[in-house]
Amino acid sequence: MKSMIKILSRYVLSAAAIALILLIVNFSLLAVWVIQAGKYEQRGYSTGQLANSLTESHGVYTLAESAEREIEKQYQWAMLLDDSGQVIWSKNLPGDVPLKYSAPDIASFSRWYLNDYPVYVWRHSDGLFVLGCAKGSRWKHSIEMYYEEMENTLIWFPALLALNGLAAILLALLFAMRLFRALKPLAKGIEEMAEKQTVELSTRGLLGDLAVAINKTSARLITQEAALNRRDNARTTWIAGVSHDIRTPLSLVMGYASQLEDDPELPPAKREQAGIIRRQSERIKTLVSDLNLASKLEYDMQPIRQNSLVPAVLLREVVADFLNSGLDDRYTVDVEIAENAQNALIIGDEELLRRAVSNLITNSIRHNSNGCAINITLEKGLGNCILRIFDNGTGFPQTVLEDLNQAQDTAGLQNHGLGLTIVRQIVKAHEGSTKFHNLPEGSCEVIISLPAK
Amino acid sequence: MGMVMNMKNIFDCKLLLVDDEPELRRMVNEILRKEGYAKIICAADCQQARELFSSEKPDGVILDVSLPDGDGFALMREFRALSAVPVLFLSARDEDENRLLGLGLGADDYITKPFLPRELTLRLRAVLTRAYFPIVLKQSQKPAFRLGGTEVDFNSGAVTSNKGQLTLTAKEFALLEKLYENRGSIVTGDSLCQAAWGDDLYGYENTLMVHIRRLREKIEPEPSAPRYLLTVRGLGYKLTGAERK
Repeated sequence: MKSMIKILSRYVLSAAAIALILLIVNFSLLAVWVIQAGKYEQRGYSTGQLANSLTESHGVYTLAESAEREIEKQYQWAMLLDDSGQVIWSKNLPGDVPLKYSAPDIASFSRWYLNDYPVYVWRHSDGLFVLGCAKGSRWKHSIEMYYEEMENTLIWFPALLALNGLAAILLALLFAMRLFRALKPLAKGIEEMAEKQTVELSTRGLLGDLAVAINKTSARLITQEAALNRRDNARTTWIAGVSHDIRTPLSLVMGYASQLEDDPELPPAKREQAGIIRRQSERIKTLVSDLNLASKLEYDMQPIRQNSLVPAVLLREVVADFLNSGLDDRYTVDVEIAENAQNALIIGDEELLRRAVSNLITNSIRHNSNGCAINITLEKGLGNCILRIFDNGTGFPQTVLEDLNQAQDTAGLQNHGLGLTIVRQIVKAHEGSTKFHNLPEGSCEVIISLPAK
Repeated sequence: MGMVMNMKNIFDCKLLLVDDEPELRRMVNEILRKEGYAKIICAADCQQARELFSSEKPDGVILDVSLPDGDGFALMREFRALSAVPVLFLSARDEDENRLLGLGLGADDYITKPFLPRELTLRLRAVLTRAYFPIVLKQSQKPAFRLGGTEVDFNSGAVTSNKGQLTLTAKEFALLEKLYENRGSIVTGDSLCQAAWGDDLYGYENTLMVHIRRLREKIEPEPSAPRYLLTVRGLGYKLTGAERK
């Protein structure tokens, strides 16, 4: 809505500006035209010059040759009246022009027309010089105003301009308001569309076509959103279903394998084989539940508990559990917690965070079969807790690193198992960030940053 | 529950196993019989389970969450309305875990499928013991154990060695008891502080260190070079070499 108001205020201002500019241009053109016309009038000989070129010698009037040409070119006829109103000289005088005039006659035609001939008069030493033009060739008009008024022009001309500007703004505002009213529901519709709401605008009025298009787009967006959700849901429930169905047969495999493994009547080699079946079944179990968790995290269907917890305590517990569960001697896990991080708090799901940390430790163990030293450090930064887990093993392959850091789809990570993907997803669900990289020595390092409470 | 009085141990418990998978019922039945439970009855669905529950009055129920004709949680609520029978859930979905933890259904414990036989028998034992022999356990003798030439008796709180007889203070007792319960395993500083002071490690680092040093002076032949109460850097402590008397 803000942008609409901005657009409209700009529209009003520019409309007013255009009106004012047009007004000024027109006035200027008028002025230029008037001046030009005046100049045209003065081109060649004026009435006075022509009158003066009529000279009398010994009772005979002669017109200078140049003046004669001028009269033929610009006017039609000319005559000279004496003081009693009698024509004493004429040139090309038409037949319908009288030869004798009374004072009222003269007063009348001197300003206007003589028998519809536009005429001009000039005082001649012997009387009145009259120049006539062809009928209908000139339009005569005289301007007259009070002197005071003429002086006020300097004030009223700018005032008129201002008044015009104001009128332009008001008119533009009026039209803008109409446009605004028409656009307002459309703008609101687009805003609602961005918020994934259903939009149904009235399709009447000037912008009906636009409203129809917006309605259509909104309907399409809603359908697409629903289809996407359905697909995500279907995928998650499908995975959940498959993992559910695998669990019962796997229970039987694990149960019987474990019983065979513990059966003292069996030869040790057979028991060892049963042990392998049991261990591999346990791996499948982990895989199934990882797959399930990863798909739920990916589509935001995993509930995240929000408890206040101390990461230092959690870390010590996870590592102690690892060491207590009989970690091979070739592996060591060291925990170092900075003084300021000892009592740092974060909000999160303890179970999931525990899983993230143990997945990282498991990853180091699994990919360094010759053993390695795993180090875990915790520091408190500005508003976050920084957890570093690094080892002195082989490090991540380059392609895996790219995959992990680019945060693609789950589908993009086939090679490195789901463990690290889950770590990234869990941290993301806690609004933290994960960075996977290799140290200069070639071993891997994972840095997790979680917002501190 | 009516049999509590003439029950000598948990193996006298009559168990009701409810699962729709016949193969799984057979396996669990075998596992339980091998463990020593003699009275086991099986049901394949809610209907059968209800009938057996009212006719046989079992002392413990192992219950699958998803049954063909109903929900294991609902079935448990029905049972609980009739008696306080302990229930151990078998669940095949991770999602059930949230319901079990979140809804406070009062299930005694749960196991996610697939499980190892040992997991099942341990959990079941714990659930039944808690339900039928809780007081007996508390009244029973506390353990006494030997660390090399040193004897520790939790009944008297006395440590006997060639240095003579020393008595453990309350905090030392709490710490040593926690360490002994988890003997052979690392116990985090946080767990130890929870046991002794009811709080996490933060703020108790030095106090814990002082108490451990005093404890070593009492139980270690050479306190400066501990052999039994070991420090695990960054994590906590570990008690090794304890032999139960």
